[in-house]
Amino acid sequence: MTSDDSADVIVVGTGIVGCLVAEEMLDAGLSVLMLEAGPRVDRWRIVENYRNLPPTLRLHFDAPYPPKPWAPHLETYTDASAAEYLQLEGPDALAYRQGYVRYAGGATWHWAGICWRLTPEDMRLKSLYGVGRDWEFDYDTLEPYYTRAEYAIGVCGPSDPALQWPPLRSKPYPMGPLPFGPGEQRFTDAAARIGLKNVPSAQARNSAIAYDGRPPCCGNNNCIPVCPIAAKYDAATALPKIEAKGGRILANAVAYRVESGPGNAIDAVHYFDADKHSHRVTGRIFVLACNGIETPKLLLLSTDERNPRGVANSSDQLGRNMMDQPKLVAALTLTEPMWTGVGPVQGSSIMQTSQGPFRSRHGGALFRFNNMARSHIGAAAALRKGLVGKALDAEIRRLSACTAEITIEHELLPDPQNRLTLSGKKDWLGLNKPNIYYDVGDYVRRSAKEYSVPLVRKLAAELGATDVQVSTEFAHSDHIMGGTIMGANAASSVVDLDCRAHDHANLFLPGGGAMTTGGCGNSTLTMAALALKAADAITGQLKHG
Amino acid sequence: MSDSTRDDAPQEFSLDRRRILIGSGVLLGGMAATSRIPPAAADASADDYPRRFLQLSSLLIPHQLDRDVGMRLAAALKLRDAAFASRVTSLIDIAKRKQAKVVEDFFADVPEGALKDTALQIISAWYLGVIVDAPDAEVFAYELALMYQPTIDVMTIPTYAISGPNGWTSNAPPLSDMPTF
Repeated sequence: MTSDDSADVIVVGTGIVGCLVAEEMLDAGLSVLMLEAGPRVDRWRIVENYRNLPPTLRLHFDAPYPPKPWAPHLETYTDASAAEYLQLEGPDALAYRQGYVRYAGGATWHWAGICWRLTPEDMRLKSLYGVGRDWEFDYDTLEPYYTRAEYAIGVCGPSDPALQWPPLRSKPYPMGPLPFGPGEQRFTDAAARIGLKNVPSAQARNSAIAYDGRPPCCGNNNCIPVCPIAAKYDAATALPKIEAKGGRILANAVAYRVESGPGNAIDAVHYFDADKHSHRVTGRIFVLACNGIETPKLLLLSTDERNPRGVANSSDQLGRNMMDQPKLVAALTLTEPMWTGVGPVQGSSIMQTSQGPFRSRHGGALFRFNNMARSHIGAAAALRKGLVGKALDAEIRRLSACTAEITIEHELLPDPQNRLTLSGKKDWLGLNKPNIYYDVGDYVRRSAKEYSVPLVRKLAAELGATDVQVSTEFAHSDHIMGGTIMGANAASSVVDLDCRAHDHANLFLPGGGAMTTGGCGNSTLTMAALALKAADAITGQLKHG
Repeated sequence: MSDSTRDDAPQEFSLDRRRILIGSGVLLGGMAATSRIPPAAADASADDYPRRFLQLSSLLIPHQLDRDVGMRLAAALKLRDAAFASRVTSLIDIAKRKQAKVVEDFFADVPEGALKDTALQIISAWYLGVIVDAPDAEVFAYELALMYQPTIDVMTIPTYAISGPNGWTSNAPPLSDMPTF
């Protein structure tokens, strides 16, 4: 069978994981071809899309990224639109409405930039607490990759170990911390009064200085859904660098089949272009980095005689163990102003609450102050009251300043019942949409009931809240993990310790899908670290056989 | 650029939703390529409705108002509702009877129902930058929407910057210090 194109390494997906791998390959002298399902769009267009949205839609982080017909993603502007692509079922179905954009640059376009590491304990849940799974390697194995990832994408954070999470580092952060705005400082002070430490987040945001050709953060308070100046790392900023190093990027190229050959090696990836024409690309190594939903979907679509349950799925674990951090939000009304909208949209969290012996019974939780400017929320609420003149302005100011949100993100255990399968419903190209069953489980529900919700009420009281409304339905954090879970045993996991598919020596599946457990924080830095670990394995494999 | 795989080539990019939005509600066609109504074209008729709309807006809202935004709102509101212009006149008449200079001088005299709804609709549009806040609604103002101004001394208008690299602090003025705008 002829091939339309070829390279040493074929990378499917142009998000942070795909881009980190691609750069490592190019630096090692290998040729790289990247396939991206969605379009490639300039930053200013996303910013203008955002500004031209009606106010309520500006809270929908996917809204500035209208999908192409051939690369659908979740669109949340109505319940009907949200039900179009991701097919969800189970007790907490709506909590798996994961936001990601199928655009060149991937979901880091609209991430908050938070870069927590896992702790050593997060990686040993089974042996320490008798729940979940243990990672097959320890924190010390991952640490050098965390550090490399932090320097690759530019992470800022505190130099004082007392403010670091976790304070187990081989090198300082490449940049110092960003300052707190008034709300974040008040949150920190209130937490301290009840014995909790709110620490500056490690964040992929340039602090005070330019880094890697990107400018310093100027506090535009729009990290989600797009940093207008690229002070926050997003993988879109990596694309020109990849091309400058000789990498090639094909946008609007929807991978739909992974082809196996003799010895169950991967021979090719097939993709549709925007005209529904099929193409076949060949390479020596294939890296699927399409995110925790699209990668399992693509592999499940790729059934053949050797792999009747899908490529990389002899264990039947492909698409199982889907994880996230189920989220609850506490809405506060306060007597004194808290203030939001100064600095980045997120900049700190209470992390100590993610750890403890309670993890044998329920999950940990992190608490963070939501620093997105509340001016438009206060204005809409004041206008609904029918106020005019000076009374209207005073009420906008009060409702904007004296309301706040605290987000709780819970630790979820890997559970094979939480499973991605192929829906019978097809997309524009005729490809099956992903279907996901999702139940956050008693481990999370107990955490909320016995631990996190009582604690957030205590925090709210310390902040002087006169009213506290805690959401009762779990929501998604967009941290997609688990679907190509890592392990040493090929019978119970999908990838090995280098994110190589157990079933296919030249197929790598780095990223969130490989994560064995997720902890409470954003998964991105761990995904980036696993990408670099996989990249080392790939270059070793290609250069030394 | 002619790379058909790239959407960042200017002549090939087309944000369909926005283009349709700008075209609809303002003129029934032919507006696809431009983003603003020239002020003089906002109302082709000889009457002074646009001037009256701006006059009423200034009576309802004690702040500096952008003329271009006002012209676009005037045209769009009239297009949505044939009786809108006459209610503008009625509201101005009430203000005149009360010799009103600011909204507090006459708002209590506006009867409940269509007239009060119209007054609140105009205020809301200037503050939110939209006439209706719903998917696919036309946006008339972003950074000029007045909703950001009562907190502009502290809060960033998202995507814009107030200070510079690490130039912000945890200090904030008292709630009583209303900015002038």
